[in-house]
Amino acid sequence: MSMDRSTSHEPLAPARIIVWDRLVRIFHWGLVLAVTFAAATGFLFPPNWLDIHVISGAFVGCLIVFRVVWGWIGSTYARFRSFPVSLALLRQHVADIAAGGGTRHLGHNQFGGLMVYGLLAILALLTITGIVTLGGVVKQGPLAFATSFATGQSARQIHEILAIVTLLMLAAHLAGVAFESWRSGENLVRAMITGRKAAPSGPVEPLATARPFLAAAILTMLAALVLTATIHLSDLPARGVPPVALDPTYAKECGSCHLAYPPSLAGAATWSAVMADLANHFGENASLDISTTTQLENWLQANSAEHWDTRAANAFRIANPADPQRITATASWVRLHQDVPDAVFKSAKVGGKSSCSACHRDAAIGRFDPQQISIPREARP
Amino acid sequence: MRMTLTALAFLSASATLAVAAPGPAQQAQLDTYATLAKAVDPAFAGFSAEHGKTLFLAKSTTGKPDTPSCTTCHTADPTKPGQTRAGKAIGPMAISMKADRYSIPAETEKWFGRNCDSVLGRACTPLEKGDFITFMVGQ
Ligand code: HEC
Ligand code: HEC
Ligand code: HEC
Repeated sequence: MSMDRSTSHEPLAPARIIVWDRLVRIFHWGLVLAVTFAAATGFLFPPNWLDIHVISGAFVGCLIVFRVVWGWIGSTYARFRSFPVSLALLRQHVADIAAGGGTRHLGHNQFGGLMVYGLLAILALLTITGIVTLGGVVKQGPLAFATSFATGQSARQIHEILAIVTLLMLAAHLAGVAFESWRSGENLVRAMITGRKAAPSGPVEPLATARPFLAAAILTMLAALVLTATIHLSDLPARGVPPVALDPTYAKECGSCHLAYPPSLAGAATWSAVMADLANHFGENASLDISTTTQLENWLQANSAEHWDTRAANAFRIANPADPQRITATASWVRLHQDVPDAVFKSAKVGGKSSCSACHRDAAIGRFDPQQISIPREARP
Repeated sequence: MRMTLTALAFLSASATLAVAAPGPAQQAQLDTYATLAKAVDPAFAGFSAEHGKTLFLAKSTTGKPDTPSCTTCHTADPTKPGQTRAGKAIGPMAISMKADRYSIPAETEKWFGRNCDSVLGRACTPLEKGDFITFMVGQ
């Protein structure tokens, strides 16, 4: 089955031929949808939309892989061969436009082709840096087992810059489509919906035969490989997240007045300061007998933030010298929560900044996954 | 119907009776506090629920400023759950509501030690502890 039911067999529209085959069109509008979701959830939505962001990103990645395969064995105008890009060709194209006429391009023109390559490349990079960020910063996904927080943070910075560049490129893409539609008198948006453009008066490029079954076979194999790898790698323990359960004595003694703060949330210095002053513990006497105090202090030291590579451990490791016992006084804690209004913390449903578990459903196990953030409904501004 | 009502009345009466008396573990603690109280004051003649109530409801200025009273965390009604300053729920102090109260000496001593210091700025005497538990046993 050829994807090019092109040329002149339909009597009703003899002058319009299929340029963009069905898969190219599905690809294009699917990408529009996936990128829109990814951009909205990435730029505008709160962090607990991370799952939707990751799923849209994964869709973008899949679509890119499809497009690369289709650019190689798809129908005529889908093939990369049909829109080569070179400096000489670009110059010629600019000269053509400047001269007022210019060649009409049935497929992509020079700038259009350049944009296709640019977008494919930058979206691929976005997908990759996204997976590295997910692994290193959030400790989730297939790369969590191998990615340090520092690597994840670098990937995150690149990811954010690429995302802004992508927005600029998309703006240029839309401007280009508008300009070319005006210049050529052909509605390019409609062409990407119907797939058809007016047949050229002159000779048409020789048609390439699409190989949909070969493409399907390649993509199925790739999908099976990537899926299996993803599932297996995601199952591995995340790097820098040791499988340490709360010491039962700690859970009981330090969990009677508040959440038993997971030891990864503060550095060794903070825990020493807390344990040294239990008789004056934030306005209360919380003292324990000496042997229990020593036992818990040792356990806290052995499992303090220095022994973890989670986002929370990296953030709260450095105490605030002015208030060294508080996690909530660290500069990072304040920065991470700067968008949460004071009134929300003060509401009865939350019960103060120290009540992590009121808003973080996984606080007790020390994970603080973005997906698990949920401010109680009654407390929302 | 009459039968049911009588049975209900009987049941609730016996429930009240059962609660009004301390269980063996609580009695053991009361005995310990009684022995200690007698050692301090040979004239000691038993605990007073009334004094326990006064201790529970009193406002103090000698302790830490954030905890002026036992009721700060336990609320003025011992049958109601309380709340720590960090927002965590505390089970009711009355044994009618929480039968296992005051049955583990180490726990009771730990909390008397902490809370008396926080509220009063000093340790509670064995007499005060016995009065307090006697009051809660009757609640
Ligand atoms: C008697 C009650 C009580 C006990 C027991 C207790 N705490 Fe606390 N803790 C508090 C209170 C009250 C606060 C202040 C909460 C607030 O500001 O909302 C606090 C705050 C903290 C904070 C600071 C939280 C922040 O805001 O960053 C840490 C850390 C902490 N406690 C550790 C411990 C450890 C470790 C233990 C066990 C040895 C312990 N606590 C046992 C009452 C207690
Ligand atoms: C009033 C609700 C609330 C409380 C209480 C709260 N947080 Fe948060 N926290 C949030 C919100 C909302 C965010 C997301 C902020 C953003 O990025 O917009 C967040 C973000 C975080 C993050 C970053 C998560 C990520 O990877 O995106 C960490 C870590 C964190 N909080 C730790 C804590 C700790 C530790 C405590 C307790 C000492 C705490 N939080 C108490 C609401 C809360
Ligand atoms: C800052 C809050 C706070 C204040 C103030 C406070 N308590 Fe408590 N109290 C607690 C907490 C928390 C517990 C342990 C939670 C539990 O047992 O359910 C507790 C437990 C106790 C227990 C142990 C009960 C048992 O089952 O053994 C006794 C006794 C007690 N309190 C007495 C007092 C007395 C007496 C006062 C006033 C002098 C007082 N408390 C003031 C928070 C407080």
